[in-house]
Amino acid sequence: MIPEFGHLILIVHLILSLLGGTLPLLAVYGNYRSLEISIKKLSFMLFILITISFLSLIYSFLVDDFSVAYVAQNSNINLPVYYKLAATWGAHEGSLVLWILAMNAWLIGFIFFTHSKDKDFLSTVFSISCQVIFAFSLFTLFTSNPFERILPIPPLNGADLNPSLQDFAFTVHPPLLYFGYSGLLIPFAIAVAAILFKKDTREWASYSRPWTLLSCSFLTLGIALGSWWAYYELGWGGWWFWDPVENAAFVPWLLSVALFHSLITSQNRGVFGKWSILLSIFAFATSLLGTFLVRSGILTSVHAFALDPERGIFLLAILAFFVIGSLFIYSITDFGHVEENKYELTSKEFGFLLNNLLLVVLAISILFGTIFPLIYEAFTGGKQISVGAPYFEIILFPFALALGLLQGVALYLSWGQSSSFSFLPRLLIESLSIFSLIILILFVLFDNLYLSSFATIFLASWILVGTLQMTKKRNLSYWNFLRKRLAVTFAHAGMAILIIGVGVVSSYSLEKEIILSPGDSTEFSDQTINFQSIDDLLGPNYTSKSAVVSFDDGSKLSNIVTEKRTYLPSGQITTEAGIQADLFKDLYVSIGDNLQSNIWSFKIQIKPFIRWIWLGALLIAIGSFLAGVKQFQRR
Amino acid sequence: MKKIIDALPLVVFASLIIVLFSFLSDKDDQLETALIDSSFPDFNLGSLSDESRVLTKQDIIKLPALINVWATWCIACRVEHPFLMKLKEESRLTIYGLNYKDNKLKALDLLERDGNPFEFSIYDFEGRLAIDLGVYGAPETFFIDKNGLIRERHVGVIDEKVWEEKFSKYLNE
Repeated sequence: MIPEFGHLILIVHLILSLLGGTLPLLAVYGNYRSLEISIKKLSFMLFILITISFLSLIYSFLVDDFSVAYVAQNSNINLPVYYKLAATWGAHEGSLVLWILAMNAWLIGFIFFTHSKDKDFLSTVFSISCQVIFAFSLFTLFTSNPFERILPIPPLNGADLNPSLQDFAFTVHPPLLYFGYSGLLIPFAIAVAAILFKKDTREWASYSRPWTLLSCSFLTLGIALGSWWAYYELGWGGWWFWDPVENAAFVPWLLSVALFHSLITSQNRGVFGKWSILLSIFAFATSLLGTFLVRSGILTSVHAFALDPERGIFLLAILAFFVIGSLFIYSITDFGHVEENKYELTSKEFGFLLNNLLLVVLAISILFGTIFPLIYEAFTGGKQISVGAPYFEIILFPFALALGLLQGVALYLSWGQSSSFSFLPRLLIESLSIFSLIILILFVLFDNLYLSSFATIFLASWILVGTLQMTKKRNLSYWNFLRKRLAVTFAHAGMAILIIGVGVVSSYSLEKEIILSPGDSTEFSDQTINFQSIDDLLGPNYTSKSAVVSFDDGSKLSNIVTEKRTYLPSGQITTEAGIQADLFKDLYVSIGDNLQSNIWSFKIQIKPFIRWIWLGALLIAIGSFLAGVKQFQRR
Repeated sequence: MKKIIDALPLVVFASLIIVLFSFLSDKDDQLETALIDSSFPDFNLGSLSDESRVLTKQDIIKLPALINVWATWCIACRVEHPFLMKLKEESRLTIYGLNYKDNKLKALDLLERDGNPFEFSIYDFEGRLAIDLGVYGAPETFFIDKNGLIRERHVGVIDEKVWEEKFSKYLNE
């Protein structure tokens, strides 16, 4: 019964979202004022409905209702309860319901937190959002219904959740990412309404800015968690693979970063209005495009969703309707006035312009690299090429360099007038000192220097000094600092920390394959590695060979456990890497093959500073979250 | 002039949609008609584990078999690797690898560490055989029946579900 109930509620939600997508527009544009509805009440109802529907799906998982096809494919009686809950969004169908839930949550936030006298404008934003929500609900119900039953004879047990997804980071990573993606709906709807109303740039930018910042914060966290998951779960010690799905999240992230920087300028100076509109549309478009690329199956990737060409066509149609529609309206609208605000070449405006150009061109290059193999194949009639990490790394480096150099000086620039560059010598001297300090620390820690890490470490020092110096220079009181500069300091310093992490880990990482039997030891770097023991373990839904390997660097002994698990329902084998995490270096060991009776191979890796990558990302996320929240207080 | 600039994003994006759409609509049948029920293409390539050993079509003798296109740069291949290992243990299939545009040392390293499900791996650095097979990308899997004919093809990760839906029926013929 409960699944049918959830299904029914989803259909009611569909109908209401259609009403929400049409009635307010008729009221505003057709002058049928009698059709006017309370958008507050409607958005609230939509949110309640989708929440109930989602809860009934969770319920079906928790009670092991394997007559529901989606539950049967992704759960199992022996799956721990926590993962049953997470399995709800572990595959295509359920994740879509969560996605719709997230869009509704953002919409309700927008309606309740935006104070504008222009009710027609708010109704239009609401209506456009409802149209997108309607399209997603329709897509879910027609091509990906999670409530579909297997009747009359349901299976006795389910096929189990993919073992590599049975993991903490994975359970949190998708919701965060979906919230990030779907949050971009709000800036999109605002931008389209702004075109229709020819809204004043400063005004609509102020509505859009908090939502862009919050989405960006969620995207940052989601991507960072995904990277962390790949690091320890795939057993390879890499943290970024340039997988199409990673790129599909990275591109909207870059655009959302570009967008909120552009919105700062739009809000404060009334310039870049059309540019901000286009960015809002494309940030949303790329988040949909990513979904399409991954779930239509035209690109193969680690994120194997069940594939179905029908879904691809449907998603592409949604994408085409909303993005082509909004770009069409954009192209025929005469914005009338030309933006008059003049700014100098070394002003803050120009800094933001440069930041935007770099971010956008980088985003286009990455998007291009991701879909280029498809286009190439389409034009050459089936010839294949592959674009991998080398392309993306070559592309990324110059942009990262330029963006980093800009970031270091950006906070010194002032609005409108040309800035004095008298700060430059001091900035340079201080960043060189920080740079030397970091290099010295690295030398003390690792007894080695790699020239290849110098560029990134200098860049990080440059950004760090540029960020912190500025905060100091303003001579703010403690309280004012917290209020005014905390967000930007967090975000920019976070970027510096992330860059240090990337620079060090890509130059100082060590790895080695070793073969040992229990009791044996071997030397690696400054560590003595000892294979202590290997035991059979029984987990809730797997059996496991669990090896204990100890690392001893003379001062500290750590025992690390690495496992080879065989998940019983599916028979799949996964390797659980053992990691001794530390701020300065991770000791990473993953068990390999059983070569002879008791002889095993292991892969040992030492990953210095890898935590700094995620620590930096966390700071960026906190910074943009604080900046978003601050926008609410300002009004 | 201004109008043209305003319409530019629309034109660019619409063309992208058209390209994606055309790709989506002709993807599946093109794969099937070209190879299904034909015999495996001829090739002449080195073995991954032993450069001097030259492999040809005649070396694929233990049938029925799977040909699995893989590479170390392909993350999805690592995901399906455990399933291939399991298949090797539990079925009477032979699995042959086609190592695609890969670094030889890394590839051998991987097989050493994670296990080698393959009877042997053909080392196709230039993607020569992959072109004849119409390989879209790694991973990709072909089923060859006991008469040496290609019967099924799967692009993407092969797992329990794909196996049941697409391949297992041929094994029981």
